Amino acid sequence: MTAGHPAHGSTGPRMHGRAWGPLRREWIKLLFQRRSYLIWGGAFALPFLIALALYLAKADPHGGEGPLFFERVTSNGMYVALAALSALLPFLLPMAAAMVAGYMIAGEAELGTLRIVLLRPVRRGSVLLAKWTMAIVYLAVGLVLMLASGLLFGAIFFGLHPMITLSGTTVSVGHGLGLIILCCLYGLAAMACIVSLALLFSTITDSSLTALIATIVIYIVVQVLIAFSYFDWLRPWVFPNYFLEYVSFFRDPIYWTPILKGLASFGAWSCGLTFVAYLLFRRKDVLS
Amino acid sequence: MTQAVAEAQTLTERAGTRPEQQSCGGRVPILTTHALTKQFGSLRAVDALDMEVCRGDIFGFLGPNGAGKTTVIRLVLGLIHPTSGYAEVCGHRVPGELQGALRHVGGFVDDPTFYPLMSARRNLRLLGSMTGPVSEERIDEVLEIVGLSERAESRVGSFSHGMKQRLGIAQALLHSPELIVLDEPTSGLDPRGMKDVRELIRELGAAGTTVFLSSHLLHEVEQVCTRAVIINRGKMVVQGPVSELRPQSDAVKVLTGDQGRAADTLRAQFGASSVLEDEGFLIVQADEDAVPEMVRRLVADGVAVRAVVPAPEQGLEDFFLELTGTDGDRPAPKKRRAGLARLLPGGRR
Repeated sequence: MTAGHPAHGSTGPRMHGRAWGPLRREWIKLLFQRRSYLIWGGAFALPFLIALALYLAKADPHGGEGPLFFERVTSNGMYVALAALSALLPFLLPMAAAMVAGYMIAGEAELGTLRIVLLRPVRRGSVLLAKWTMAIVYLAVGLVLMLASGLLFGAIFFGLHPMITLSGTTVSVGHGLGLIILCCLYGLAAMACIVSLALLFSTITDSSLTALIATIVIYIVVQVLIAFSYFDWLRPWVFPNYFLEYVSFFRDPIYWTPILKGLASFGAWSCGLTFVAYLLFRRKDVLS
Repeated sequence: MTQAVAEAQTLTERAGTRPEQQSCGGRVPILTTHALTKQFGSLRAVDALDMEVCRGDIFGFLGPNGAGKTTVIRLVLGLIHPTSGYAEVCGHRVPGELQGALRHVGGFVDDPTFYPLMSARRNLRLLGSMTGPVSEERIDEVLEIVGLSERAESRVGSFSHGMKQRLGIAQALLHSPELIVLDEPTSGLDPRGMKDVRELIRELGAAGTTVFLSSHLLHEVEQVCTRAVIINRGKMVVQGPVSELRPQSDAVKVLTGDQGRAADTLRAQFGASSVLEDEGFLIVQADEDAVPEMVRRLVADGVAVRAVVPAPEQGLEDFFLELTGTDGDRPAPKKRRAGLARLLPGGRR
């Protein structure tokens, strides 16, 4: 081991592209985590399994019924992606969001890499924003895989046909695809709240598991509460209440009121929670 | 208070007790702390610490375990926030101007940790790219410096502790910092690894980089550092050039064919408290003039003398123990010196 000319006179860091540095780092880090591929694999496999199950059930005269959009799948493969979204959105997607965001700070603290990262001349706010953004990108990749898989296996098993909206009108395949993409984007916006909540817990604790569990517990508790009519007054104020409002895209014309209310709720909760996370992270004593 | 402690404190007083009065002898201070304080609940981990590191120093940051060394490093690097006071790093106030300070500083705290599934090269690329693209040439260069070129593509998860320490130094060097802060970089290394790291630190110093070396290894600081501060319970006890910090030691190490008999002879000559046993050696408080007589008596008693060598490290060690071991609830230093010395890593263990 020899120092030679160790510290001076060699290629220093070029400061351009600094804004992308933390983002790139987070993305590469995600690619090196096996669980990323598990979730993405699950998102890709789910539409296939739905399509396969319904294809087999179609052949069975006693085949059962399924959740929203499921009954329409057998007549039109376009509905496979939509059925998969309705299956993912209540639990698997929030779980994935809580997992990835909960790990972002607490996981690095657990591993001990947080202190190395924070010794780079990058603002903590940039680090946090990069983590939030990459958690969203991670979920977006999952949704894209789900969409691609839904269309692929929908086409294979049932074919792609014009879609019938909830209002009874028919829209072309292209129009239908546009509506499905809007539904996925709405689902992604909903997940931003879960990401922000998990990121907040991730700044509080040094255990990614604690952050994940805290997020899921809160999500489930809210879901349970709003299921009771006694807590109807709570409904407009909590974001899980709006998770399934994407179905309004399938009214003709699109019923924007619940969608916009949902997006406003997601935006407010997401910004608020992320801001609190930022305030905590900015002052966090990194002792791990 | 012993004479050594009194002398050392006089040294600090000569240098000035307030940072603005402390002098780097015409050199520019690169790191100063100003009444830096950190309180965790009821525990005051760092207590109004004023210290000054001059540009070009290899600065030893010495203290027993739990003295607050790592907390000070975390404060200086902005990982934790001070309860009061501040640090000034390369002209930037921390925590207020942390980003400006970190552009000039590299280092690590505790054990350096990396992503285990990634290669050494990718880890460095990832860390370096946070502030803009880092060239592959620079990554090659720092890996070469720390002797990890051949393992550049290996997963860090397969690295030994020593290799991770070296990779920690590599990432610290990545953006060519003016100041490198190393928190016990030789901790857990085998003797060869320790020697390599110390050599590297010396070379970094020779190349003009200021090194802030936290250690509880007294001889390490003595071997490597030009200046040092000793802290205890979060307070600065003394700081100054290592050569001046160390009181003159009159100790010699004696190795004979029969250490038990030799110890009896030497205790009869110098007194019981002047002879200690340590790692097979007898440490004798005897000045140079007394050595011929000492050897003559040993030989006269039929003890085969194999070696008598100066033990200059005893000076700093004794000094360190006296400075840091004067708690009211512990035995007096003199009484427990032998026992405590064995407990201190790198001391007489």
